[in-house]
Amino acid sequence: MQSWRRKSLWLALSASWLLILLGFFPLLRLAVPSRPWAGTPQGWPHWLDAEFLQSFSQPRELLEDVPQPPQAPRGGSCDWGACFDTSKCKGGGLKVFVYPAAGLISETRRRILASIEGSRYHTSSPAEACLLLLLSPDTPAGECSPVPPHWNGGRNHLVLSLHPAPCPRTFQLGQAMVAKASPTVDTFRHGFDVALPLLPEAHPLRGGPPGQLQQHSPQPRVAQLALAEERGGWHTAGTNFSVCPWDGRCEQNHGPKLTHPGATLPNATFCLIPGRHPDALHFLQALQAGCIPVLLSPHWELPFSEVIDWTKAAIIADERLPLQVLAALQEMPLTRVLALRQQTQFLWDAYFSSVENVIHTTLEIIQDRILGVSAHPSLQWNSPPGALLALPTFSTSLSDFPFYHIQQGSRPVGRFSALIWVGAPGKPPLKLIQAVAGSQHCAQILVLWSSEKPPPPRWPETTVPLTVSEGHRKVSDRFFPYSAISSDAILSLDAHSSLSTSEVDFAFVVWQSFPERMVGFLTWSHFWDEARGGWGYTAERANEFSMVLTSAAFYHRYYHTLFTHSLPKALRTLADEAPTCVDVLMNFLVATVTKLPPIKVPYRKQNQEARPPLAPEGRGPRLEPQPPVRDCINQLAAGFGRMPLVSSRLRLDPVLFKDSVSVLRKKYRSLEKP
Amino acid sequence: MCASVKYNIRGPALIPRMKTKHRIYYITLFSIVLLGLIATGVFQFWPHSIESASDWSVEKRSVRDVPLVRLPADSPVPERGDLSCRMHTCFDVYRCGFNPKNKIKVYIYSLKKYVDDSGVPVSSTISREYNELLTAISDSDYYTDDISRACLFVPSIDVLNQNTLRIKETAQALAQLSRWDRGTNHLLFNMLPGGPPDYNTALDVPRDRALLAGGGFSTWTYRQGYDVSIPVYSPLSAEVDLPEKGPGPRRYFLLSSQMAVHPEYREDLEALQAKHGESVLVLDKCTHLPEGALSLRKRCHRHHVFDYPQVLQEATFCVVLRGARLGQAVLSDVLRAGCVPVVIADSYILPFSEVLDWKRASVIVPEEKMLDVYSILQSIPQRQVEEMQRQARWFWEAYFQSIKAIALATLQIINDRIYPYAAISYEEWNDPPTVKWGSVSNPLFLPLIPPQSQGFTAIVLTYDRVESLFRVITEVSKVPSLSKLLVVWNNQNKNPPEDSLWPKIRVPLKVVRTAENKLSNRFFPYDEIETEAVLAIDDDIIMLTSDELQFGYEVWREFPDRLVGYPGRLHLWDHEMSKWKYESEWTNEVSMVLTGAAFYHKYFNYLYTYKMPGDIKNWVDAHMNCEDIAMNFLVANVTGKAVIKVTPRKKFKCPECTAIDGLSLDQTHMVERSECINKFASVFGTMPLKVVEHRADPVLYKDDFPEKLKSFPNIGSL
Repeated sequence: MQSWRRKSLWLALSASWLLILLGFFPLLRLAVPSRPWAGTPQGWPHWLDAEFLQSFSQPRELLEDVPQPPQAPRGGSCDWGACFDTSKCKGGGLKVFVYPAAGLISETRRRILASIEGSRYHTSSPAEACLLLLLSPDTPAGECSPVPPHWNGGRNHLVLSLHPAPCPRTFQLGQAMVAKASPTVDTFRHGFDVALPLLPEAHPLRGGPPGQLQQHSPQPRVAQLALAEERGGWHTAGTNFSVCPWDGRCEQNHGPKLTHPGATLPNATFCLIPGRHPDALHFLQALQAGCIPVLLSPHWELPFSEVIDWTKAAIIADERLPLQVLAALQEMPLTRVLALRQQTQFLWDAYFSSVENVIHTTLEIIQDRILGVSAHPSLQWNSPPGALLALPTFSTSLSDFPFYHIQQGSRPVGRFSALIWVGAPGKPPLKLIQAVAGSQHCAQILVLWSSEKPPPPRWPETTVPLTVSEGHRKVSDRFFPYSAISSDAILSLDAHSSLSTSEVDFAFVVWQSFPERMVGFLTWSHFWDEARGGWGYTAERANEFSMVLTSAAFYHRYYHTLFTHSLPKALRTLADEAPTCVDVLMNFLVATVTKLPPIKVPYRKQNQEARPPLAPEGRGPRLEPQPPVRDCINQLAAGFGRMPLVSSRLRLDPVLFKDSVSVLRKKYRSLEKP
Repeated sequence: MCASVKYNIRGPALIPRMKTKHRIYYITLFSIVLLGLIATGVFQFWPHSIESASDWSVEKRSVRDVPLVRLPADSPVPERGDLSCRMHTCFDVYRCGFNPKNKIKVYIYSLKKYVDDSGVPVSSTISREYNELLTAISDSDYYTDDISRACLFVPSIDVLNQNTLRIKETAQALAQLSRWDRGTNHLLFNMLPGGPPDYNTALDVPRDRALLAGGGFSTWTYRQGYDVSIPVYSPLSAEVDLPEKGPGPRRYFLLSSQMAVHPEYREDLEALQAKHGESVLVLDKCTHLPEGALSLRKRCHRHHVFDYPQVLQEATFCVVLRGARLGQAVLSDVLRAGCVPVVIADSYILPFSEVLDWKRASVIVPEEKMLDVYSILQSIPQRQVEEMQRQARWFWEAYFQSIKAIALATLQIINDRIYPYAAISYEEWNDPPTVKWGSVSNPLFLPLIPPQSQGFTAIVLTYDRVESLFRVITEVSKVPSLSKLLVVWNNQNKNPPEDSLWPKIRVPLKVVRTAENKLSNRFFPYDEIETEAVLAIDDDIIMLTSDELQFGYEVWREFPDRLVGYPGRLHLWDHEMSKWKYESEWTNEVSMVLTGAAFYHKYFNYLYTYKMPGDIKNWVDAHMNCEDIAMNFLVANVTGKAVIKVTPRKKFKCPECTAIDGLSLDQTHMVERSECINKFASVFGTMPLKVVEHRADPVLYKDDFPEKLKSFPNIGSL
């Protein structure tokens, strides 16, 4: 009884507590006049008659709107469709005529004109040209613009002003496109004008300094933030920028700060650049330095914004939300910081490092507009090696190029074409043909017969098709993009080359892992010759190398297209005149594209043929320690504006190469035979 | 109650006397409590039911019942749209304030019915599509019902179709919105702008600074970076079921399906048809069919009748020609059919062109080149055409399909402008899901050879093998490029030896103590690592020569985005068991390197610790095995590249160590490792490892060349 009572008492007690707890709040809510619940969104109402609502347009209205005749452009404003006549640009891509300089001109201007004239776009006939280029005067001494002779209301003209014009133009721009530095967003005509970067006075014409970034990730102790100063310098905030280094307003508050009046390049992870017009100059400095530009409401159009995806390399933020921007920078994931930093460097090298690059990029943009569907895809503009080195005339499919396989998840085609150049002695390289044809990866053999003697009527029977073509006197012809070449890989050979099937097989398998590089057997290395104050190169065997000889090398067929269609004529002529130079030139070209060294694979006859006689006519056996035309490398370095070659200290061998295990285990056993 | 408690304590003496009294007392108490509980229950649910009932009445009311607003004839009219507006001039970002989720907040004005002075309605209240659009916004993460927190305001005044509204009065209605403020931060949606006769390409309603999401902008009216160009929604999207048709050649090469085509253009199209015959099909409305709703879904060529939009699936390319307006609903139908649109509308700003790459999904032809269309299209390689077909269909699925898709894409674009650092990338906007899956974006994509001067940091993971550890430290310190040595002390029960006992080496040596004995501690991104290159080395690896290590570092410099290690291993597909197998035999191929000694970029430590997919990290720690296989998977997956094996070395067995029960231990070891591979492959959803047949040796390795002239003469043995 008692326990019953006690139990019920406890029950009653707890129940009344429950009552109070549960009952109090609802009672309170009843007592206080109810108001809309804060926090729980009401949302857009669900109408009872939502089903019966009328559509915004009658079906008939959508289908049968009144057709209108074509419209003419309004208010003198221009866009691509209205003001550019593409009918003049049929075939052969963009042909550019440059107005020759009249009167006294500055040295830089003369060199710029020369550079355009030497480029692949140039034509000397204004009638044939599809684009007429007028270089805006850059010095007050320069003649101030009489109307050019073929003006025609500015149609198909591009007025290029690299620097702000010193004198007012005396004629109307009319239908001409304008390419100028940092145009204001209000006057810029999208898809018609071209926005250029604001270049410093002393920007190099060609080549240009490489990006400053030496490592992928930011150094741990480097400042996180640098702020562009009005005087032109950079002002570095400490590693912690929780306090605002904004316009110098709270300067006194923050920790260690350094001002480098002399240093022009910032050393920080992020570079804050105000949106005012003169600060555009800082933008390029930040890019070069690998400092991620944080642009605060820029009032100017970003350079080449038509094709460059700036969100991959810079942060365009609103200057009115400084704290949010700073917080966002601090919280930015490492992966994004890495990507942004690397992109700044790629963009700098590909499009901004020299005046020539800037001009070529401008012309390439206009060419893309003309090409329409076959223009560069966005990926080519925005990933290495960049659109200037990826010719759209080669292919519109990304997997045909050697650069995008990883991004695309594709692989190069699994066969190669052997290209054998037969020079002066004119003896058919029968042994070589047999060795190459023996490779399971060989798709075809092409013989380029360039000897005075006629080719023999009979060629050995091979398992793969063999084609002989005649009459290639010029050395540079061996790098012509022959349409007969169907595979991605080319094995370039000389009649004197001596390779075994095993060597060919292994080298090709290696090439498949590195389709953008050259994979070769014999190497040269370049060096800086202090005594002569120039570059030199040597065929001596050494612990490192930077070139592989094209007398026996695998590379992608795209490089033939690039060699023939993108190199300035002057450089190709140089190679034709001094045939040893052609190897150096090809290596320069590939290194410019990849920024990496070529790859060396083992070669059996290394010892007997340390200096292979790879010369066709006139080259002679190369027995001297130095290749004969030593100045070739210096002329090429001048032509490229920099030394692109990179040295490597490794060789790729088969996994079990010369290991002390049974030969039977080894796949490439004949590679090891003495 | 207190009394009863007291009583309770007092004990049994009083019980008999108060027995019945108490019973009554308890019964009453109980019933009170019970009643109270019932009342509470009712209280709990009653107010709710009242509220939800009232909610119900608010939400589920009719559009006809919305409040009426009378606009005086002289109420203010906003300025015309300001063509110079940009985000940083006309948009008030302060309203968007700080938002940790980087999402703007959007407020929707409640629905009202506007009438002028004489009671004539300004427009029809709301269209079905606009109602859907507002519902989509309201259901999204962007929505807020708190006007004071909103960053963007969407009026409920429906301006989707300019034809259905009175321009001046609509403008007056806009101007009297409570937060109008010259239209700042207001977003209007309009799909059919302009009206006869001149059909402007932007909404004619004066709207001052308001943002316009418009369908049919031209370059003259579009404010780049401020307005948003949207598609004209095609009601057929909801009405007709059109199953997807894969890319590939189709019956017609070029098709024109529009009814209202200017005679000049129709002439051109018919000329094309005459020239190219069967492959070109130009359709028109059917004159001989009875009028009716159904005839809208029919198209005719001479006397052949075709079903629209099904006929679009029969063509590779479909013409989208400018009508009175630039924006055409047919674009949406064409994309849906996987037909590549050939857009012939000069100066038209294509939908979402700010973020979508239309070059990948369409062909844009100037109006004056209409007659060349056929040859232009024929010059496109088949592979590219198929790519475009796929892309077209994907654009429709992602951004055109429904009013909701259109609304959300618009808000996302505006959101990306306000929080640019959290913006969606080009690839996320443009790559179809299949491409996103198949593609790899290497985080270290820049071709770069880091300078030798930087050196590397060696990380030695140790438990208590102090003697062996000290030998490793002494050996590694002989490598010229070593810049720092980090010992990760993984033993919580024992302190590391005293400072004075450690070997004296020329570089800084740091000891890090860990909180738990876990294998993944070896791959933690310690702040102490200041170089990019990291050498992970076990505390019993003493057989590697200084030349071997130095060479390994040099190789890493040439391949900074790869794992560079010594003994290589291979994964193989076991056909009998249908699963992966781990292989450590003497093979000609390599797909992994052991991390008992391996160089890699320190970024991979960050990835291993924070971005390792699934439960792999915990799995490794629990099994105390396979951390190296996990690392190999991770790096190969993120870079798409193979490892680099350096020098002939095949195993790490130290000569002094005696194998305990070697064979069987080896057997279980192999089984475990195979299990790891299978487990990781299933977590990654793919087999990322790449097989190669090469290893890296010094240039002159085993060449007939004077040893003393070689850079790395002592490269070690197997």
